[in-house]
Amino acid sequence: MTAVPAREAETEHRNGLQLMRALIQITLSDFKESVRAKWFLIYSLVFGGAVILLFVLGITESKVLGFTGLSRLLVTYIQLCVAILPILVLISTVRSVVGDREANILEYFLSMPVSLGAYFWGKVISKFFLIFVPILSALIGAVIWGFFKNLAIPWSIAGYYAILLGSLSWCFLGLGMYISTVVKKQEWGLGLSVLIWLILLLFIDAVLIGLMMQHQIIEGVIVGIALLNPVMVFRTGAVLLFDPELTAIGPASYVILDRLGFAGFLSFSILYPILLGWLFSTLGFLRFKKGDLA
Amino acid sequence: MIQINALTKKFGRFTAIDQIDLHVLQGDRIALIGLNGAGKTTLIRIILGQYLFDGELQVFGKNPRQHRVEILDRIGFVPQIPPPIQMSVGELVSFAAAISFRSSRAAIIEKAHALGFEIESNLKKPFLKLSGGMKQKLLIALALAREPEILIMDEPAANLDPQARQAFFLMLLRSMEKTTMILSSHRVDEVINLITRIVEIDHGRIIQDEQINRSHMADTQLNCRVILTEPNDQATQFLEEWNFMQGENRLAFDGSFIGAERLRFMTTIAHFANQIKSLHIN
Repeated sequence: MTAVPAREAETEHRNGLQLMRALIQITLSDFKESVRAKWFLIYSLVFGGAVILLFVLGITESKVLGFTGLSRLLVTYIQLCVAILPILVLISTVRSVVGDREANILEYFLSMPVSLGAYFWGKVISKFFLIFVPILSALIGAVIWGFFKNLAIPWSIAGYYAILLGSLSWCFLGLGMYISTVVKKQEWGLGLSVLIWLILLLFIDAVLIGLMMQHQIIEGVIVGIALLNPVMVFRTGAVLLFDPELTAIGPASYVILDRLGFAGFLSFSILYPILLGWLFSTLGFLRFKKGDLA
Repeated sequence: MIQINALTKKFGRFTAIDQIDLHVLQGDRIALIGLNGAGKTTLIRIILGQYLFDGELQVFGKNPRQHRVEILDRIGFVPQIPPPIQMSVGELVSFAAAISFRSSRAAIIEKAHALGFEIESNLKKPFLKLSGGMKQKLLIALALAREPEILIMDEPAANLDPQARQAFFLMLLRSMEKTTMILSSHRVDEVINLITRIVEIDHGRIIQDEQINRSHMADTQLNCRVILTEPNDQATQFLEEWNFMQGENRLAFDGSFIGAERLRFMTTIAHFANQIKSLHIN
């Protein structure tokens, strides 16, 4: 009487184990392949090199708007990340699915007993570590360097920045994976990535200031646009710790801060990109699952 | 094993598969033939659960889109063109062995060895850097190691040298009773001795589906002696590729091949008909 349920339970356990093994294998193989690829080397050099360059240029000795020492370096590093992190993440992830499809790798791997979930999420996990590890290493490197140079270590800021960078990476990773499942050719994916990046950069304070000054659009819409833009949210959140009044950046950020409050905005700047990343990656997975695979 | 009823696949306005009915039974060995673009690869991809489709399709009684992993675990697939996988040979073997309980590293190594590819001495080599023949041997070994119930192959022997092809055909012939095979090929004479059924596709429709007699000599080793009229470099090279030994007088060559390869041997050696004094097969 109990033989059939026992067999079913065993099959279920086996299937679960097989799924987990496939997920681990896809994650590992994608990780290894990406490490071998040149983009990863360039990507790591950009972030690691940025920190080294900032130290070499003596940025810790300078003082701007009251920031000096390691804080000065971190704020410069984070400003650099605002500009380059989204596009680097997009470029390195947008080819994941469409690239495999074009090269017939997808056809081969998906002819093996690998679930679509294991394939897609395995790539997402691998890419997240590949993207985040160099950024985090650069941040940790800066802290260690500061420690040896006897600079004051702003621990809470460094910790918050690590989370913020992780959150932004996740957001653009999700977007990159989504684009990768939607486009038919890698070139289109790359083109779309650059376009999205430019639009998001344009719609930080630079354009918003213009709109506000011209009084062409009501304030609520401008604040809404700013809040929807993960780059803007990241930038504002990053500066908030140094400049709680946000006097150093544009008016849209100031209005947002006024509405959400200090703690509210800090939480929002972490949670919103994470949610956006989940939303895009889930949409990407659904698109991948429901369409033609090869 | 595979039940297909009124299967249709469209890409935009283009109909790649048009109302196909096909029932594949256990032990069937089908040559899926047709010109490039006829719909062979599309049909294979549908069976592998890679394309959406209209109509009915059941593999092992289940829909391959909804039960992908379960079904694919029982199917071996060998593509025509090896994909540009960046992994090393060792990584690819570990990957294939880890994702299925039906496979193992030892089984893959054994199958590859039988095909003349030594995995152990190529572990660190990137898959991409292998020769076309080596890649194909490895992909075949990966597919066969799972002891699949259905084996789907797209021009599987295209990149193989004569020895590897014979070893491969022998492997297939020995697993004939339990394995159902679908071999996609643009030339039926390449696989004629392996198959029991020919399905021809043209413009997405099946235009021929007929049973053929099984070749009883397919896995028999045939001895062959070729005597040339005069020394000929090209003929010698061809015979050496087939592992023939040259006699002392440089004109006689002795070798052997399996029955499944005799048609291929005969059609190729026919290019040197003017240089052949005698040819005996027994």
